[in-house]
Amino acid sequence: MRLKLPRIAGYAIACFALLAGTVAAFAHASERGHVLLLPTSYYLMGGAMAVVFSFVVLAFMPPGALLQAGAWRLRLCRYRPFGKFAASTFSFAAFAFLLHVGWAGSRDPLANLLPLTVWTVLWLCLTLAQGIFGFWWPWLNPWYGPWRIWTAVTGQTAREDNPFLILPNRVGRWPAFAILFAFAWFELVSLAPDDPGNLAGVVVAYWLFTFACIVLFGYGTWMARGEFFSVFFRLVSHLAVFAVRAGYLWLVLPGAKLRHAPVLPASGVAFVLLALAYISFDGLMRTFAWLQIIGVNPLEFPGRSAVILQNTLGLAGMVTLFAVLFLAAILAGEKLAGGKGTARAAGALVWSFVPIALAYHFSHYLVVMLVNGQYALAAASDPLARGWNLFGTADMPIRAGLTLGADAAWAIWNAQAAAIVGGHVLAIILAHATAYGLYGSARRAALSQIPMAVLMIFYTVFGLWLLSTPTAG
Amino acid sequence: MTENRKSTILTPHGLTRRSALKGLGVAAGLMAAPGFVRYGQAQTSEPIRIGFQCHRTGIGAAYGRWYERTTTAAAKLINEAGGINGRPLEIIIEDDGTDPKRGAEVVEKFANQHKVDLVYGTLFSHVVVGSAPAAGELKMPYYVVSEGYHVASGKMNRYCVQPGITDVKAQVRSVAPWIANNLGKKITLVYPDYAFGHDHRDFFEPAIQAQGGQVVAKVPIPPTETSFTRYLPQIPSDTDVIYHVMVGPAVLTFVKELGEFFGNSGPQLFGFIDSLEAVDINSPGLEFLDGSHFWEGMPRYAQPDEPEYVSFYRDTVGIDENGASVGDPTDVSTAAHMFGCWETLHIIKTAMEASGYAGPGDRTKLIEATEAMTDMEAGREHPQGKKRFNGKIHQVFGEQNISRVEDGRLNVVHRTSIEDGHYEPEADYTTMLF
Repeated sequence: MRLKLPRIAGYAIACFALLAGTVAAFAHASERGHVLLLPTSYYLMGGAMAVVFSFVVLAFMPPGALLQAGAWRLRLCRYRPFGKFAASTFSFAAFAFLLHVGWAGSRDPLANLLPLTVWTVLWLCLTLAQGIFGFWWPWLNPWYGPWRIWTAVTGQTAREDNPFLILPNRVGRWPAFAILFAFAWFELVSLAPDDPGNLAGVVVAYWLFTFACIVLFGYGTWMARGEFFSVFFRLVSHLAVFAVRAGYLWLVLPGAKLRHAPVLPASGVAFVLLALAYISFDGLMRTFAWLQIIGVNPLEFPGRSAVILQNTLGLAGMVTLFAVLFLAAILAGEKLAGGKGTARAAGALVWSFVPIALAYHFSHYLVVMLVNGQYALAAASDPLARGWNLFGTADMPIRAGLTLGADAAWAIWNAQAAAIVGGHVLAIILAHATAYGLYGSARRAALSQIPMAVLMIFYTVFGLWLLSTPTAG
Repeated sequence: MTENRKSTILTPHGLTRRSALKGLGVAAGLMAAPGFVRYGQAQTSEPIRIGFQCHRTGIGAAYGRWYERTTTAAAKLINEAGGINGRPLEIIIEDDGTDPKRGAEVVEKFANQHKVDLVYGTLFSHVVVGSAPAAGELKMPYYVVSEGYHVASGKMNRYCVQPGITDVKAQVRSVAPWIANNLGKKITLVYPDYAFGHDHRDFFEPAIQAQGGQVVAKVPIPPTETSFTRYLPQIPSDTDVIYHVMVGPAVLTFVKELGEFFGNSGPQLFGFIDSLEAVDINSPGLEFLDGSHFWEGMPRYAQPDEPEYVSFYRDTVGIDENGASVGDPTDVSTAAHMFGCWETLHIIKTAMEASGYAGPGDRTKLIEATEAMTDMEAGREHPQGKKRFNGKIHQVFGEQNISRVEDGRLNVVHRTSIEDGHYEPEADYTTMLF
C-alpha cells in the first residue's frame, strides 16, 4: 500500500498537537554555548574599529602608493594551460559515477559520496580553493568535455559566434542569478537536500539543463552568464594569488587581479549580492533572533518543513535588503563625490564585496568542512558501500572532536573572526582603489566611500554577531 | 575485501566511520563473514532489514552521530553471534533531518522502497509524533528510542513501542524520593518555559509532594533568554534544592551566572544531564556544578564498581572512561541516552525469536511478542540495568542513576529502583486493532 505524501504531511502537521505535555527535548548545548562565554562583544567592537581604521588610513594615503603596491607581482615559472578537454571529460566520468553512487550507494548522507561531494567538496572547498589558487572550473566542470564531443559528433561548430540561439544581452547574468537563488533555496530551505537520491535527481536535471543551454547558446556564453558555479567561481577567483599572463604563472597580491575586472552589469551586481545574502542567511536562519521573528521556539525547533515559507521569504528578503543597502550606499557616495554614473559605480564597487563573500564562506562553513571533509575522505574509499578501501581512508576514524569543546570553540571563533575582519579590510582597500579609478581624485574617492565604509562596518559587526549569537541545534 | 572490512570495524581508536553500516551494500559483507557460514543452509539467508530513522542532519545531528555508532556496534555484535533466527541483521540508515514531515516520508521509503521489516531508532519527540501515524498506516513496527512520554501516553498506535529507554515521566518521578531524603524538601524549579520544562514541572511537583516535599517556587525562563541574572532573585532564600532543566546553547551561561549569583554558598543543585549531554563537564563556566547532582540514564564516566557487561558495552561502542570517543577525547558521547539503541536492538532480537518472526507477514506477531515482554535482566543485552516492560502502554521502566559532580567527573551515588519511577498506565494499546 502506498501512502500519499500529502496525507503523510497532514498527519505530521496534525500530530504536532499531540506534542504538548509529552516532550523530551534535546536542545543540544552545542558549541555555540562555549562561544557565548567568550568576550565576543570585544571582537565585534575591535572588528568595527579595524575597518574604521583602514578607511581612515586609506583616506589619507596617496592613491598612487596603493595602486603601485597592488601592481606587485612575482614571476614563478613558464605556464601554458593545457588538458582542458581531457580533464573535463574525466570530470564528467567522475560525475556520472557520483550519480550512480547517489542512487546505488548508502542512503546515509554522511556515507554517500554524492552529497558529500556536492555540498562539502564542490560548494565549500572548491570555492575556497578557487578563491586562493585561481579559476579551475573550466577543467573541473563536467560539461566542457561532453560539449566538445557533441560538437565533433554533430558537426555543430564550437565557435561562439554561431550558436542555435542568441542569448540577448539584456538577459545579462540573470539566468545565473535565478539558478543561484534556486540552489540556495534547495540547500537552505528545501526539506532534504542531503538525501542522496533526491540530490542525484536534482544534479542530473541541472546537468541536462545546462548542457541543453550550452548547445543552444554556446559554451562560452552560457558558462559566463547562466551556469552559476562558473559565474560564482570566476568571481571569487579574482582574489586568487596566482595569475596566468603572457605565458607565465605569477604570484600576485590578493585582490590585485581585480584591477582588470570588468564593470559588472546590474545582473552581475545582483549575483554578487545574492551570493553574499545566501551565506548570510545560512547563518541568520539558525539564530535565536530569526527564529523569534518567525515565531519559532529555538529550543524546540520543529524542523525545516515547518519553516519553508518563512525561510523562503527570509532568503528573498535578505537579498532585497542587501540590494537596497548597497544601492543606497552607492547613491549616497555618488552624491558626496559628485559622480554621474551610478550604474558604473555599482558595477565596479560591487567587486569589493567578493572578498567578504569568500571570508563568510570560510567562516560559516569551517566546522562543516573540518568534519564532513573527513566523512568525504572516508566515503571516497568505499563509494558504493561494498567494503572497498580504494585509497586506504575507508577505515579512518572521524574525529568530530576536532571541532568540539571549549578549546576548539576558541580556536574556531578566532579563525572565523580573523577571516571576517580580514575580508572587510581587504574590501575597504579594494573599494578605495576602485573609487580612485572612478572619481579620479583622492578626495572625491574618499568622500564617495564614506557611505560604503559605514555599510562595511555594519556588515563586519553583523558577520561576527552571526557567528557568536545563540543558534538552534 | 569483506574480511578486511570486518577486521577493521574496531580499531585501537574505537569505532571508525567504516563501522557505519552503510546501507544497501552491507548485507552481503556480513553474510560472507565467517560467523554466517553455518547459517548458509538456514531456512532463508535473507537479512532482516531494519530501517534506522536517524537524525543525521538537523538539530538532532549530535545525538544522531552517537545513536548511529551505538546501533552499528550492537548490530555487529548481534550478527557476530549468529544474527536473528539465523539471519543477519542489515541496518539501513535514512536521514530524517530531525523533521517530522521528512520523518513520515522516511517511514514510507522504508516500507515501499527498502522493504524493511521494521523501523527503529528515532529520538526527537516531534519526529516520533510526526512519523508514528505513517508507521501505523503502513502497519510498520516502529521501535523508538525517544525518552518522551508520548508513547506511554497512549497517543501513538499499536505499532509504536519504546522498549529500550525509560520515559521522562518515570525519570522525573524516580529521582524525587532521593532528592527529598538527601538534598532537601523545599524545591525551586528552574525550567525553560515550554513543553519540555512544563513536563518536568508537572511531573515533578506531585512526585516530590508524595515524598513530603514542597515546590516553593517555579521560575520559568523564556526559551530565547540568554542571560539569567534577572531571574535568579526569584529563587526563595529558604530553598533547599534548585531543580534545573535548562537546555540549549545558553546552559553554560546559566550555570556560570548561577555561580556568580550564589558565590560559595547557595542551595543544592539537581539537574538532568540532558542539559549537558555531549558537553564536557569540565568546560569553562561549569565550575559551579562541582558537588551538584544529576540524573543520568546511564553513567557517562566509567564507575569503579561497574559490572563486566557495562565495561563490555562501553568498549564495544568505543567510549573511554570519561565517556568520550576512544582516541578523540573531546568528542563526548550522549551516554545517558544512546544505550537505548543497543537495548532496543536486543529486544527486537528477543521478540523476533520469541515470535518466530519470518518476514513482514509476522509483524503483528512481533508486536504481540514485544507486548508480552516483562522483566529484562541486566547483562550484556541490557547494560543500563534491569528493566520491566509494560505491554499495555508500550513503555519500559527501569533503574536510574543519580550522580554527583566530583573532581570533574560524574560519580554515581545512587541507583533508583524500577518502582521509584513507576506510574499507573493511562492507556492500553493491546486493545487497539492492528
